[in-house]
Amino acid sequence: MGVGAIGAAIGEGYTAAEANLAISRNTKSAGDIFKSMLIGQAIAESASIFALVIAMILLFTKFSATSYVTVCAIFAAGLSMGFGAIGSGIGAGFPAGAACTGMSRQPALSGKLTTNMLIGSAVCQTPSIFALVVSFILIFTDFSGYPVSPGCAAVLGAGLAIGLGAIGSGIGGGVVAESSCNGIARQPLTITPVTNVMLLGQAIAQTPAILGLLISFILIYKGFPATDSIAPSMALLGAGICMGVGAIGPGIGEGIASSGGVKAIARNQEVVGVITRSMLVGMAVAESTAIYSMVIALVMIFVA
Amino acid sequence: MEQIRQTQKKYCSAAIAVAIFAGLLFILAGQKPIGKALILGTIFSIVNFILMGETLPFRIGQSKGKTFFISMGSIYFRYIILAIPLIMSIKLEQFNLFAVIFGIFLVQIVIMADHFFSYISSARRKQF
Repeated sequence: MGVGAIGAAIGEGYTAAEANLAISRNTKSAGDIFKSMLIGQAIAESASIFALVIAMILLFTKFSATSYVTVCAIFAAGLSMGFGAIGSGIGAGFPAGAACTGMSRQPALSGKLTTNMLIGSAVCQTPSIFALVVSFILIFTDFSGYPVSPGCAAVLGAGLAIGLGAIGSGIGGGVVAESSCNGIARQPLTITPVTNVMLLGQAIAQTPAILGLLISFILIYKGFPATDSIAPSMALLGAGICMGVGAIGPGIGEGIASSGGVKAIARNQEVVGVITRSMLVGMAVAESTAIYSMVIALVMIFVA
Repeated sequence: MEQIRQTQKKYCSAAIAVAIFAGLLFILAGQKPIGKALILGTIFSIVNFILMGETLPFRIGQSKGKTFFISMGSIYFRYIILAIPLIMSIKLEQFNLFAVIFGIFLVQIVIMADHFFSYISSARRKQF
């Protein structure tokens, strides 16, 4: 919960700071800006409410710890949701802040900006929903038949793979949505292509988190034979860390690449096709490092 | 602040209306713990949303660092309140945990649904 609240606090703080600037620029739109800020923050903190739900379940449920794997799974559930909420909390703050700024520039567009902000913020919550799903699986799955070694390492790795992996995608999705709100405020006629490219960019920025989810599922559901050696355990834990940490950079990088595309389309919608193509190439290159991480994680799971 | 109050009134009244209607349906269908939990979660979700609006003026007009710490304090305070229905549903069998979780997100769901439907209706109006 402590870790999960960091993202929401940064996101809300960023939104409030941008709202300050927006109100100082256009005091007449203060009401609309306050309203947008409130709605944006309500959506932005969904990820940390997920973390709260998991924290309360972990604190107040009586678990029948039939094996050490269950103990590790419960710990991994907390790690997964705590880390998984950071990116979405931060990311969802960006479009909310940009919507406030946009309203100060174009008060007549407040409705469209709020809708665009809400779509962007909602997509930003996807990585934290993945983390929530893994947390629930870790809490409610019966691990009594799993061998302690390497079962403990596998469940811890699963929690870290999606928890850390969700950070980059959450922030990346937010960067794209921020550019979309800015773009619409600058050039309202581009709302349709900008929203479409934003959704495309956000969808691709979520792929590192999806790879993290995939590695988590493999670590949870692939049965591993019992062993006395420490190497297989370390390999499985390492696989989770490798995928989780390896997904942070690509998630943010893809968001930045896509944000550039959205900005460019808002300036010149005549060349949507060329800009989208170059944006997708850039995102594919940024994605490659997440794929390398996944390959190494798979090698550690299946070969080591 | 009046605009914030109007926004809160609009979304909170819609959320509680949905919760009461769905809750009654569940209670009539014999799923009392789900119905009661849905209404309970929604009430606390509304309290959280109102408190969020009430703390907004404290966050405006401050430096970036100060805003961050005020946001952090506000989040922790509101989450302590949101934890109450979750603890109740875990400890008491009269409340279903998953229905409480759904209720806690009902205000956000109503906000999303409201904007989604107005987006769809404006797109349809443009078509005809």
